[in-house]
Amino acid sequence: MHNIMPAIYGLNSLEKSMLSIIPEAVVILFAFIVLFLTFFEKIAKSKNSYYLSLIGIAFSILYVVMLSGRNLTGFYGSVVFNGYDVFLFIAILLSGFLTVLVSKDYIENFDLPYPEFYSIILFGISAMMFLVASNNLIMVFISLEFMSICSYILTGYIRGNARSTEAALKYLILGTFASAFLIFGSVFIYAAVGHLNLNSIHTYLENISYGNNGSASILSGMGEYLSIGLLLFMVGLAFKMSLFPFHAWTPDAYDGAPTPITSFMATGIKIAAFAVFLRIYVLIYNINVINFNDILWVLAVLSMTFGNIAAILSANVKRLLAYSSIAQAGYILIGIIGGGFYGYSGTLFYLFTYIFMTAGAFAVVIIFENSDIASLDIKNLSGIAYKYPFISAAMALFMLSLAGIPVTGGFMGKFYVFSAAVKSGYYWLVFIALLNSAFAAYYYIKIIVKMYMPVKEDSNVSCIAGEGKNYGIVNGNISEGIILAVIICLFFTLIMGVYPQIFINFANYSAASLASL
Amino acid sequence: MAFFMKYILTILIFFPTVAVLILLPINKKNEGLLRNVATLLSLIEFIASCYLFRYFKPDTYKFQFIEKFNWIQSFGASYFLGIDGISLFLILLTTLLTFVSLLSSYRYIKDHVKEFVILMLLLETFMLGTFAALDVLLFYVFWEFMLIPMYFIIGMWGTGKRIYSAVKFFLYTLAGSLIMLFGIIYIFIIHYQQTGNFTFNLIRLYNTNIPVNLQILLFIALFLGFAIKVPIFPFHTWLPDAHTEAPTAGSVILAGVLLKFGIYGFFRFAIPLLPDAALILAPYIVVIGVIGILYGAFVSIVQKDLKRLVAFSSVSHMGFIMVGLFAFTAISINGAVYQLLNHGVDTGALFLFVGMIYERMHTRQIKDLGGIAKKAPILTVLFLTSVLASVGLPGLNGFIGEFLILIGSFRSYPVLTIIATSGIIFAAVYLLWMFQRVMFQDPHDQIAPYDHHLEFFDDMNLREIITVLPLIILMFLMGFYPAPFLDRIDPSVLHFLTMLNHHKIFYNAIKIKTGLSNA
Repeated sequence: MHNIMPAIYGLNSLEKSMLSIIPEAVVILFAFIVLFLTFFEKIAKSKNSYYLSLIGIAFSILYVVMLSGRNLTGFYGSVVFNGYDVFLFIAILLSGFLTVLVSKDYIENFDLPYPEFYSIILFGISAMMFLVASNNLIMVFISLEFMSICSYILTGYIRGNARSTEAALKYLILGTFASAFLIFGSVFIYAAVGHLNLNSIHTYLENISYGNNGSASILSGMGEYLSIGLLLFMVGLAFKMSLFPFHAWTPDAYDGAPTPITSFMATGIKIAAFAVFLRIYVLIYNINVINFNDILWVLAVLSMTFGNIAAILSANVKRLLAYSSIAQAGYILIGIIGGGFYGYSGTLFYLFTYIFMTAGAFAVVIIFENSDIASLDIKNLSGIAYKYPFISAAMALFMLSLAGIPVTGGFMGKFYVFSAAVKSGYYWLVFIALLNSAFAAYYYIKIIVKMYMPVKEDSNVSCIAGEGKNYGIVNGNISEGIILAVIICLFFTLIMGVYPQIFINFANYSAASLASL
Repeated sequence: MAFFMKYILTILIFFPTVAVLILLPINKKNEGLLRNVATLLSLIEFIASCYLFRYFKPDTYKFQFIEKFNWIQSFGASYFLGIDGISLFLILLTTLLTFVSLLSSYRYIKDHVKEFVILMLLLETFMLGTFAALDVLLFYVFWEFMLIPMYFIIGMWGTGKRIYSAVKFFLYTLAGSLIMLFGIIYIFIIHYQQTGNFTFNLIRLYNTNIPVNLQILLFIALFLGFAIKVPIFPFHTWLPDAHTEAPTAGSVILAGVLLKFGIYGFFRFAIPLLPDAALILAPYIVVIGVIGILYGAFVSIVQKDLKRLVAFSSVSHMGFIMVGLFAFTAISINGAVYQLLNHGVDTGALFLFVGMIYERMHTRQIKDLGGIAKKAPILTVLFLTSVLASVGLPGLNGFIGEFLILIGSFRSYPVLTIIATSGIIFAAVYLLWMFQRVMFQDPHDQIAPYDHHLEFFDDMNLREIITVLPLIILMFLMGFYPAPFLDRIDPSVLHFLTMLNHHKIFYNAIKIKTGLSNA
C-alpha cells in the first residue's frame, strides 16, 4: 500500500489535504450525481438513485480501506485522517448503507420524491464523516451544522404530514439552540486558550497542567472561561448524543421522521456525535480544571434511568426505540467515563454493535409499517411472529441485543464498557447501569411477548390465522434490499456476540490512534 | 473415535444446535416427523453423553476432557471446557431429561411443534455449555442465554397466566444474573490489578486474594444471582408461577436441570472464588435454607393446585441441598450433590405424572381429581414410586441424599439439622396426602364436568411408560447402589473442602487477630 502513492506524499499540501478527505469527497460527489438525476424526469422515477447511492457508499468504504494505516492531516490541521477515523468512517458508512437499503420501500410507499432523498442522506453521511475527522473547533461547528441541516430536512421529508413537519420544526428550533451553545462554548474556549486547533489546545493545556511553563498561574483568570466554554460545548454535543436533559427533541423527532431517517438519526448522527465528543474529550476534557467525569456520571445515570422509564411507558414501537436510544446513549457514555485505552476501545466497540442492533430493529419496524399493520402500536404486533417468522425472529434478537443478553453484540459491548468503568473504580455507576439493564429488559421483551405470545382477547389482527410465508415477503412491497439489511444486521449482531475478537482488535487499533494524538 | 473423544464436550454441547439445523428445513406441518427426529436426535445425544461416564477417571478431582482455545484475547476469555465428577452427572441428567421431556410432549404440545422442538434443543446446548464451562465469561454467556428458550417455552405453550409467569421468570433471573455479572466483573478487575493479566480462567481466578470485607460484598452479589436460580426462600416467588404455568416438558427441564444451576454455581464459582466470605456467611445461609425447607413444606401442604404443590416441594428440597452444601462437611456436600441428582430425577418424574393427569383430566385442581387409581393401575404404581422416592423412602434414591445431608450437617449445625429433619416428615404429609386425594379419593365428591374425563381416563401408553421408565430405574438404582455415583463425586468434594480448609485456617487467624473468636 505504501508504495502506491509515494509521489503524492511529497507534493504540496493541497494535494495532501485532498487526499485526507477523499472518502468524504467521494460521498459528496455521488450526492451531487444523484441530485442531478432530478433534472431528468425519466431517470428520476427509476431506481437509479438508489443504486447510485449504494455504489457511492461502497466506493467510499473502499477508499477508507485503501487509506487505512496512514496518518494524514489536511487544510492546516483542521481535518485529520488516522486509525480512529477509519473505524468510525466505516461505522458511519455502514449505517448510511443500511439506511439507503431500507429507504427504498418506504419512500415508494409514501410516494416521496426519490433522488433528493438519497442525495440528502449522502450529504448527511459526508457531514458526519467531516464531523468525525474535524480537528478544529470551527470545523466541528461547520460539519455539525451541515449534518444537522441534512437531518432537519430529512425529518420533515414527508410533506403534508403534520407529525413529520412538527418533528422537523421542533428539531430545528431545539437544534439551533444547541448549535448556539456549541459555538458559544467554542468562543469561550478560544478566549481562554487562544487556539482553535484541538491539538494545539491539548498541548497548551498539557503544558499548564504539568507546569512546564512555570506554574498554573497562566490559567488563572482564564480557568473559568475554559470551564464555561467546555460546559457549553458539551451541552451542544450532548444534544446530538441525546443525553438526558438535552434529549427533549429525540422522541418527537424520532417518532415523526420517516422511519429510515429515524434509523439514520439513531445510528449515524449518534455515532458521529459520540465520536467527535470522544476525540475532544480525550484531547481537552481529560486534562482539566473541573472534573468532567462527575458531570458525565450524572448525565449517564439520568439518561439511562429516564430513557428506560419513558420507554416502559410508551406504547408505540418507534417511540419506544427512541427512548431506548436515550438509555443506550447513557450506557455508551459509561465507556467514556471509564476512560483509558480500555474504556475508549469499549466505547467504540459498543458504538459499532449499537449500529447493527438499532438499524436492524428499525428495519423490522419499516417492514411492519409497509405491511398491513396500520399503526406501530405495540398491541398491533400481537401474534405477528406466526405471520413473519424470519423477521420476527430477527426483531427478537435485536431486542435481546439491546437488552444486553449474551450471544448478541449488545452483551459484549455492555460487558466491555462496564468492565472499563469498574476498572477505573466507578462501581456505583456500573451497579446502577446493571440495575437499569434489568429494568430495561422489561420493555424489550414486551415486544417479544406481543410478537410470540398472543393473547386471544387482544388479537383483532388476522396475524394468527394467516399462514406464514418465509422471509415476510407477503405483500410484495417488501424488497430484497430491506431483507438484506436485516440479514446484515443479524449477522453482525450475532458475530459480535459470539466471536467479537476481530472487532475488538479493530476498536483497539482505532483507540490506539486516538490515544496517541 | 479419537477425534470424538478429544472434542467430546464441544460435540455434545453443539450437537443439539446442529440438530436444530437438521430440523429447520422440515416443513412445519409435518409435525410427526419433527417430533420423531427431534426425539431421536436427543436420544443420540444422551447415548453419546454416556461415553463421558464410560471414560471418566473416577479417582481424581482434576478436570477431565479439557478443551481450551482462545476466544477473546482482549479480555483473557477462552473457550475452556472441562468436567469433574459433579458436572459429569449433571450433564448426564441434562441429556436424559431433555430426551424424556421431548418424548413426554407428544400429546401436550399441539401447535407450533417446530418452534417447540427447536427451542428445546437450543436450550439443551446452553444447559450443557453452562455445566461444562470453566471460563467465567463463557459460563455467563451460556448461563444467561439459557433464559431465552425457557422463557419462550413458558410463554408460548404455557397455561393460564403464562405470559405473566414467563416475564416474571425472565426478569427475576435476569436481575439476579446482572447483579452477579457485577460481581464477576469486579473479581475479574481485582485479578487484573493484582497480576496485570486479564483472565477469566476459573482456575486462575481461584488464586485471587480479595480482602475479606470486599469478599462479603461480592459474595452477596454472586449469591443473589445463584440464589434466585436455586431458588432459596425469599427469592423463590418466580418458581411456583413458572413451574405451574409451563408445559410439562418445560416444568421437567425447569425443575430437573435449571434449578441445579444455582447450587452448581455456588459449588463451582461463588464459594471457591470467595471462600472467606462463604465461611463467614455460611451459618446465615444454612438458617435461610432451613427456613426454606419448612416454608416450602408448609406451603405445599395447603396447595390446591397439583402442579403448584410439586413446585413448592422443590423449594423445600432445594433448602435441604443448600443446608448440605453450606454445612461444609465432606458427607453433607456429597449428600447435597447426590440429592441434586435425585431431585432432578424425582421431581422430573412427578411433573411428568402431573402432566399425564392434566392431559387426561384437563384440570390440576386436587379437589376435582380422584379415583384415578381404579382406572389406571400402571400410572398409580409408577406415580407412587416417584412420590415415595421424593419423600425419601429407604431403598429409593431420595433417602440416600437426605440421609447423607442430615448426617453430615449434624456435625456442623446440630440444632438446625434437627429442625430440618422435620422437613422429611412434612414431605411425607403433603406428598402422600396429595397422592391419596388425587388417586384414591371417592370420585363421587367431584364436580360434574370432570366426571366425563375420568370415565375415559386411559392408562399410560407405551410411549409414556418409556418416558418415565429411565427415571424409575434410576430411582431404584441410585437408591440401592449409590457407589458409582458417589465414587465420582467424592474426589471433587474433597478437593473443594481442601480449598476451603486452606482458607479456614486463614480465616481463623483473622478471627483470633481481631478478637472475633471471643464474641
